[in-house]
Amino acid sequence: MSGAPVIFVVDDDPSVRFSLKFLLSTVGLHVESFDSADTFLRKSPPDVPSCLVLDVRLPGLSGLDFQRELAARKIYIPIVFLTGHGDIPMSVRAMKAGAVEFLTKPFRDQDLLDAVRIALERDHARREQEKEVVILQRRFDSLTSREREVISMVVSGMLNKQIADRLGTAESTVKVQRSRALEKMHAESLVDVVRMIEKLKGPSGGLR
Amino acid sequence: MDLQPRDLAEEIKHLQRCVNDLISVLALPAMWSGGEPSQIVHTLLDALLRMLQLDFVYVQLKKTDGQAPIEMVRFAQSEKHKAWPHDIGEALKSCLGVDPQEWPPLMRAPLGDRHISIVPLGLGLQSEIGVIVAGSERADFPQQTEKLILSVAANQASIGLQEARLRSEQKGVASQLDRRVAQRTAELAAANEELRKEIANRKHAEEDLRASVEKHRVIVETANDAVVSMDETGAILFANPATRRIFGYDPIEIVGKPLTMLMPEMMRKLHENGFKRYLATGKRHLNWQGIELTAQRKDGQEFAVEISFGELTSDGHKVFTGFIRDISERRQAEDQLRASERNLQMTQAELARVSRLTTMGELAASIAHEVNQPLTAVINNGSACLRLLANRNLEPEVLRRALEGIVADGTRASVILTRIRAFIKKEPAEKNRLDINEVIQEVLVLAGRELYENQVLLDHQLTTDLPFVLADRVQLQQVLLNLIMNSIEALTAVTNRPRLLWVQSRIDESGDVLVAVSDSGTGFGLELDRVFTTFFTTKAKGMGMGLSISRSLIESHGGRLWATPNSPHGAVFSFTLPATAGSTS
Repeated sequence: MSGAPVIFVVDDDPSVRFSLKFLLSTVGLHVESFDSADTFLRKSPPDVPSCLVLDVRLPGLSGLDFQRELAARKIYIPIVFLTGHGDIPMSVRAMKAGAVEFLTKPFRDQDLLDAVRIALERDHARREQEKEVVILQRRFDSLTSREREVISMVVSGMLNKQIADRLGTAESTVKVQRSRALEKMHAESLVDVVRMIEKLKGPSGGLR
Repeated sequence: MDLQPRDLAEEIKHLQRCVNDLISVLALPAMWSGGEPSQIVHTLLDALLRMLQLDFVYVQLKKTDGQAPIEMVRFAQSEKHKAWPHDIGEALKSCLGVDPQEWPPLMRAPLGDRHISIVPLGLGLQSEIGVIVAGSERADFPQQTEKLILSVAANQASIGLQEARLRSEQKGVASQLDRRVAQRTAELAAANEELRKEIANRKHAEEDLRASVEKHRVIVETANDAVVSMDETGAILFANPATRRIFGYDPIEIVGKPLTMLMPEMMRKLHENGFKRYLATGKRHLNWQGIELTAQRKDGQEFAVEISFGELTSDGHKVFTGFIRDISERRQAEDQLRASERNLQMTQAELARVSRLTTMGELAASIAHEVNQPLTAVINNGSACLRLLANRNLEPEVLRRALEGIVADGTRASVILTRIRAFIKKEPAEKNRLDINEVIQEVLVLAGRELYENQVLLDHQLTTDLPFVLADRVQLQQVLLNLIMNSIEALTAVTNRPRLLWVQSRIDESGDVLVAVSDSGTGFGLELDRVFTTFFTTKAKGMGMGLSISRSLIESHGGRLWATPNSPHGAVFSFTLPATAGSTS
């Protein structure tokens, strides 16, 4: 399991940065604050559950542009937006792009803390999933090319005999290759390996 | 008498000469025939002078009309002392007497340095024609024969002159007659000419009349407007061809029918009553020169017309003629124009409102953001402290820093607000001496369209001779317009009573200029004390800024702005402005 979560606060107003840090610290959260999107982007992505508390109106890159930029860089950090004045089209855009919450300043402390908690949970889940995919990928990468072919056909529902016909080998050979692949993937059953392959094809993973 | 032969021969010669002379004298009248008296006298004098070898012969002819007599004289060739006829006459008068009729038949008188025998001879029976005077130096003058010749010549001359005078008189009468004839002829000719002219004029007038009648007929027949006449009973007497195009009726089919058939049902009774009233009283209740009414076509379709009436009395009967113009297209165009004008104005008003809202919105957003930042920090800090307090985990140092932050942020918010106020006030007011009534009139003009559109009745009681106020014209206009627009908005909700707006200007008890805008609108209810609060609004689209801004503007002019309920409905917004020296009158 990863270390303590971090909240990244990006707001150009030092008072607001300080107060956010203070507020979040009362629930034991670790906060790192930045005065602009650029300074945040210069920092390497953290390896712990985290979320971004972001003012929509920022100097330089705006909050929404920043959100797009992060997506382009495949940085899937949950974002809680803060805004000086609620603007419905803006909030809709932000939410559609995956924002956790869109809070209008000044907000109730509980609303922010709830939003941050949800964001961290979401990030935690994502990270767990991402971690599993990385492991599975590593296992999948350890298969020989013939084993990968066999496992793909197995997952698509083909029988050993059919696979042997397709590959022009003996059925017994397919059997061996199949059991070796399952062993390498740490799969306990056929169902298990199907689930693993599905995860690898998933949104944050890539079947390479 | 004893005569010698030589004497006898002389005597015979003498007599012969005398006979010759007599014959000459008797022949004179033949020469005179038709001659003028002067011509007669000339020849007579020449003849006598020559025959009788006189030294002079003088004649004086009386004029009948009392003018100076005509005098003539002839002297012998040898005579050295020639004189003017008049001088001779005067000399004769001095030695013979003033009246020629009284002169002696013969007189030997000294004339100049000589003695001369003078023989005066009357012309006419009583010398009424004149007198001839023959004079000679010879002592034997006049001899018998010479006397004879002189008297015969005088007689002849009398006859000739008498004839000449008669002729002249005749001639005068004749010429007078001629003149009178000519004059009369001229008069007749003139009269004739006059008559001819008169005839020509009449002919011309008749032609004109004919042409005019023809012209009018052509106009009526070809007119674009329907021309319809009716009699005193309201029956149609005549309709021109355009009637068919405009009303759809053949002129023949409506003649004799009531005029009301060309009107919509609802107007017929009105027309009949009005017509009866006019016939009875002679009073016109309509404008006869172009009134816009509604007419009805044969197919029942109603349309707008412009009608002019004329009235003519013919044979004691009144005939009314209407000139009816179809203005439905014009009306349509006018309506369209009005509609597009209204659209334009609405668009403009909308644009103004939007731009105002946008500006206000931007301002509000900017204010919100600027103030929100420190407020957010304050609230966050406060919330964090409360949380720590709840957990009994609030360390003094943490609290101190939080409180410092809160104070700093509170101060910052206040500074921001001060800055914004300074920004709003940035445009310095340009204060001038203003006639408040003038400003009110300007604003009423600006609001006129809104008043009209929303069917608001405006009443203003503007006190004249108000003192000037020292104010910024544009800001005052904004305040007034704001109050009036507020009233109009409050009035648009009213449907069960008249929508009334009063604008009043007067001097209040303290001598300030007071302006009150009252309405019969929805009023405030219980919110009277809140209307001036910024962002408070009773309006669906209101920003809640107008009244608070208006109040600050009035206060910046040293005045007051307040609201009171109107009785029985609506609101009164009043403001005062200090009066300055000098009156608007």
